[in-house]
Amino acid sequence: MLTYLIRRLLSMIPILLGVMVITFLLFYQINRPETMARQILGPKADQRTVETWLAHRGYDKPIYLNTRPGEPLLDSQFFNTLKGFLTFDLGISDYNDEPVAKMIRRGILPSLLITLPAFIVGFSLSLLLSLFQVFIRDSLLDRWGTAIFVALMSIPVIVYVIFGQWIAANLFAWFPAFGFNFEGLSTARFLALPVLIMVLSGLGSEVRLYRAIFIEEIRADYIRTAQAKGVSHARVLLVHVLKNGLIALITVVVASLPFLIMGSLVVESFFGIPGLGNLMMNAINTSDFSLIRANVYIGSLLFLFGLMLTDLCYAAADPRIRLQ
Amino acid sequence: MVPTASPLISLLLVAALSLLAACSNNPHPAPLHSVREDGKPWRVTYGNISDNPRSLDPQVSYDTTGNTIISQIYESLLQYNLFKTDPYELEPCLADGMPREIRHADGRVSYEVRLKRGIRFHDDPAFPGGKGRELTAADFVYTFQRIADPKVECPVLSVMQEFVVGLKPAFDAAKASGRFDYSRPIDSITVIDDHTFQIHLLKPYPQFFYWLAMPFTAPVAREVVEYYHGRDHREQFRFHPVGTGPFRLAEWARGRLIRLERNPHYITTRFPASGWPAERDAFFRPLANAPLPLIDEAQYAMIKENVASWLLFRQGYLDRVVLGRDNFGSAISAGLTLSEAFRQRGVQLNKDPEPVTFFFQFNMDDPVVGKNRKLRQALSTVYDGERANILFRNGVDINAQQLLPPGLFGYQPDFRNPYRTGDVAKARELIAEAGYPGGIDPATGRPLVLKLDVVALNSVSRQRAEFDQQQFEQLGIRCEIVENTWPNFQDRQIRGTFQMNSGSGWHADYPDAETFFLLFDGRNLPPEGHNASRFQNARFDALFQEMSQLPDGPERLRIAHQLNDILVEECPLIPTSHLVLFSLDQPWMRRLSRNALLAGGAGNKYAWVDPAERDRLRKAWNRAPLWPTFVLAGAALATLLYAVRWVRRQNV
Amino acid sequence: MPPLWLQNVLFLAGAVVLVWLLRRVLRSERYRRAFIRLRRDPLGIVCAAVVALFLLIGLSDCLRLSRQESLLDYAFRHVPVEESYSAPLARTTYDEFDPKPLKGRHLLGTDLLGKDVLHQTLKGCRTALIIGGLTSLIYLPVGALLGIFAGYFRGKTDDAIQYLYSTLHSIPNILLLIALLMTLGRGLSNMALALSITAWITLCRLIRGETLRQTTRPYVEAARTLGQSHWKIITRHLLPNVMHLLLINAVLGFSGLVMTEAILSYLGVGAPVGTASWGAMIVSARTELSRDPVVWWNLVAASGALFLFILALNLLGDALRKAFDPRA
Repeated sequence: MLTYLIRRLLSMIPILLGVMVITFLLFYQINRPETMARQILGPKADQRTVETWLAHRGYDKPIYLNTRPGEPLLDSQFFNTLKGFLTFDLGISDYNDEPVAKMIRRGILPSLLITLPAFIVGFSLSLLLSLFQVFIRDSLLDRWGTAIFVALMSIPVIVYVIFGQWIAANLFAWFPAFGFNFEGLSTARFLALPVLIMVLSGLGSEVRLYRAIFIEEIRADYIRTAQAKGVSHARVLLVHVLKNGLIALITVVVASLPFLIMGSLVVESFFGIPGLGNLMMNAINTSDFSLIRANVYIGSLLFLFGLMLTDLCYAAADPRIRLQ
Repeated sequence: MVPTASPLISLLLVAALSLLAACSNNPHPAPLHSVREDGKPWRVTYGNISDNPRSLDPQVSYDTTGNTIISQIYESLLQYNLFKTDPYELEPCLADGMPREIRHADGRVSYEVRLKRGIRFHDDPAFPGGKGRELTAADFVYTFQRIADPKVECPVLSVMQEFVVGLKPAFDAAKASGRFDYSRPIDSITVIDDHTFQIHLLKPYPQFFYWLAMPFTAPVAREVVEYYHGRDHREQFRFHPVGTGPFRLAEWARGRLIRLERNPHYITTRFPASGWPAERDAFFRPLANAPLPLIDEAQYAMIKENVASWLLFRQGYLDRVVLGRDNFGSAISAGLTLSEAFRQRGVQLNKDPEPVTFFFQFNMDDPVVGKNRKLRQALSTVYDGERANILFRNGVDINAQQLLPPGLFGYQPDFRNPYRTGDVAKARELIAEAGYPGGIDPATGRPLVLKLDVVALNSVSRQRAEFDQQQFEQLGIRCEIVENTWPNFQDRQIRGTFQMNSGSGWHADYPDAETFFLLFDGRNLPPEGHNASRFQNARFDALFQEMSQLPDGPERLRIAHQLNDILVEECPLIPTSHLVLFSLDQPWMRRLSRNALLAGGAGNKYAWVDPAERDRLRKAWNRAPLWPTFVLAGAALATLLYAVRWVRRQNV
Repeated sequence: MPPLWLQNVLFLAGAVVLVWLLRRVLRSERYRRAFIRLRRDPLGIVCAAVVALFLLIGLSDCLRLSRQESLLDYAFRHVPVEESYSAPLARTTYDEFDPKPLKGRHLLGTDLLGKDVLHQTLKGCRTALIIGGLTSLIYLPVGALLGIFAGYFRGKTDDAIQYLYSTLHSIPNILLLIALLMTLGRGLSNMALALSITAWITLCRLIRGETLRQTTRPYVEAARTLGQSHWKIITRHLLPNVMHLLLINAVLGFSGLVMTEAILSYLGVGAPVGTASWGAMIVSARTELSRDPVVWWNLVAASGALFLFILALNLLGDALRKAFDPRA
């Protein structure tokens, strides 16, 4: 087990390296550091300010390999960033010189405050609805239910948000239509609307997926045996199907868990929640390259972490799987 | 089952209960206090800014959001008068009287400044005992040293070193040695005593007073800058502004809120004792000589999109909103007056012309448009600025005929540009004379193709680009849109790889014609300068040179008109509009002035608000209709009943 | 830019090839059975018809009569352009104080620049067709082949392909898309390319898994011992056995691609200026909602069309899956 984990961790290194290479490759194509500096410093900044700015942040160095005579070969932007990332030093923001790690730490809580409730509510609701659907499978209601859930998943998030915000502001004066603020328990009033929208926009596809998993399970041989032995319909569903289906389900869901930290790009920026999604949006808008690459790095770390979790879940759920 | 689930359920219950208890759609945090020390109600204003300021360091910040906040925390030697807008007028702020000019025999000029006494920096832990110390002449020496320090990255250094003594040598010395030596006095300033000093200029420069009103020359305290240096778990100075201004920074929650609080020791300025419009005498009279600021707290919510700010304004949660295109329909009737619904609410409408000009510009190095004056004139003539104004700005803006915007010395209100008529027939004649009859390029037999660079990131700019395309294609040519991100757009502008572009608006740093004509000065080429159209005209350059040394007067005016005529005839640009800011004030605010230069933040110390009225109206405006609640509850109930019935029927 | 006639011929040829492929595929036993099952599913048939209709409209807008005019525009040539907004079927422009008479009637009203909203909405089909179709054309073969290679050859090939997609996949999707779009530049074809760079990954993983399963089956062993070449085994045996997965993935992926376009429009990297797209319409209609009286028809038309198309695609995908795997 331990050796497996270590091997897994080691195999992440070339992937992270690849991610960094691609990030540098792409973002330098989009924005040369000089244009980036110009956007950040404003249209009226003069050439000399731009040059000083670049020199202070090491953007005057070669991108990949330093072939200038008399300078160390690896004293380049790429390797300096890499060095920083390997020691978990994410550098400072290009936009306002704030430490990136600090910005990201600040964004995690607001992001989690919406994604975590949205995940819990969404997951339990989808579980409930899909179980109900399996319970009444092949009935008219089931078929209509499926159609409704497909309809729910056919609406883009943007449409949900636009209508949600509009309705909330015009028909109900319960929740703020925009904004965020820490105020103890009543912080919840800022979260209600975004969470509701995230649940609704994810509900369709989740219910469909869970239903498919449960249906697969219900056709398994042991269930037939149980049914043949006269175990009641509800018992079969709630004990056998739920238990085994849940295992399959969790392995699916677990990969997405680390991503809850990253927040939601669209929902956060529509509702002004200062989470990581919003931070990312700002980074794109202000060409804050150091923030972008830190975000990409963390995103890929989380992704790989999610993959590992999934593997572990498989192993825990099914002892037959040997982790060599 | 129940015991295992109980923590989750109780958590949900608590959340639901607290939600019900705090059901309010007010997005703002509670004010710092509810009453002042003197027992009067605590007055708060609620504003919005579009983004996190990049920096609150007055020597660094060069963007609107930053200036909005900085100009309330810091003060400069001079400030703009609240009531004088045509023309704008400067008056002393930190200075005790206007600076005295001293002309030297070698052509150099010095200004002697006396500071007001007893002005203190905000209380801050950076000072011994946490108590702000008095402002002295030495602080200005330090400020000018900072301007020259390469590490500070002051964006106007290269402009200022052209007329201020000693900035360039100080910069070069620091660049050479790797660090700025703050122990060496800078040549720009001679201290005479604690409250008197002289600033030395390389040449006569009448516009220098405007620079003394900008935040770049606002004094900062050395101990504060050194205290907040980003080490020892302290944040940098740029996040901890400490100035002498009417407000101090109380809270900056990045990405959501900036909260300013009244500086209790503020004595620099008082409310003007005269100069207000006669018809509002009853309102202004009691305020004359009142201590400033009039409000106790200013909250700025960070709202990127104007859909959201408009929503909050309608609910009464913003005191003022600038109208974007889509709010016009509801707030303003066709005569550009307030619509009935808003008039009944008591909302006031303000129209403030801003010193801004938007224009298309041609790349004069381009072999097609750059070398063909008639072609440029044809393109200029065909563009219907009025229709664009109506479609995209509801006819609010001023349809531009010239480069200079209203309110500036040299602007001619009655000037009619012969090539800005929107006359399609004449434009077609011009393009035929240019060698492209019917828009057809005789060399290929096909329509001439022109490329228009735009920044089209949002829906409005996309529609705008489409409109521009249609306008130019009336000539029979083909206009291809080149979409850019801002950095790319600027990059192409600097490198000169565009043919023509739109989206360049120019905002005056200070209300003087020079900042606009500079854009077409042949010595001001990119990348150092801002003459992106690469317009080169010997006569223009000579006249411009002459103008920049003259004080305002008939001679200067004559030159300004000549410069304008050259630009009109040569057509390196198509001026399209001058921005007019339409904004709404809630009934609990009182409009004090129409000075666009104070509208951002500097004017906030004069702001006046009635909190009781606000509370009353907010309640009245946020009564939601009841029926949606009932409909929702009804639908939920029906679904539940149906499900229960269905399950029962299945079991039977 | 290739000449007009060549573009038209290419589009037509593409459509013909697609139909021919479908018909050819239907000859095999497995597909015929699936087809028969599909025909018994009325919802599936309706959805297939709706999708086909949208695609036809899109195709009609791809066929150009001149640089400015497509077949679809020709059909709308009598619909005039108005001054500015007008409500559906209104007689005057949408202005409380100074309404001007309209030149014609518009079923779904007109937008800010006075263009007919119905026309614009239908033109959105072309964008959807190009984004969905062109992307599928790129990513389906790439994803399927790489997936089969990885599953069939295993070892070093598998490692390399896995490394490639793991790396790409671990970059946050939306960021990768934005970066690619900004690098490649604007335009529908570039967008299709960018989308396919992210889209092939899921398919490749799916196909790889299925191939791994198939290669353990005796028929592959038999083919190997008979000395058939790798290429033959892949094209004759493996490809037909994963083909149905490809088909289902293509239909569902199509809807995902069209939805992604809407998000990209919101982020400012959507379809280029002057190209009618549902995403761009929705995003621009968002600000129109805060007008008073509300301009709703733009938003409703665009989101309606988008919703209908995606719904039909999703339901069709479901129907197909059921037809191929009656147990599910």
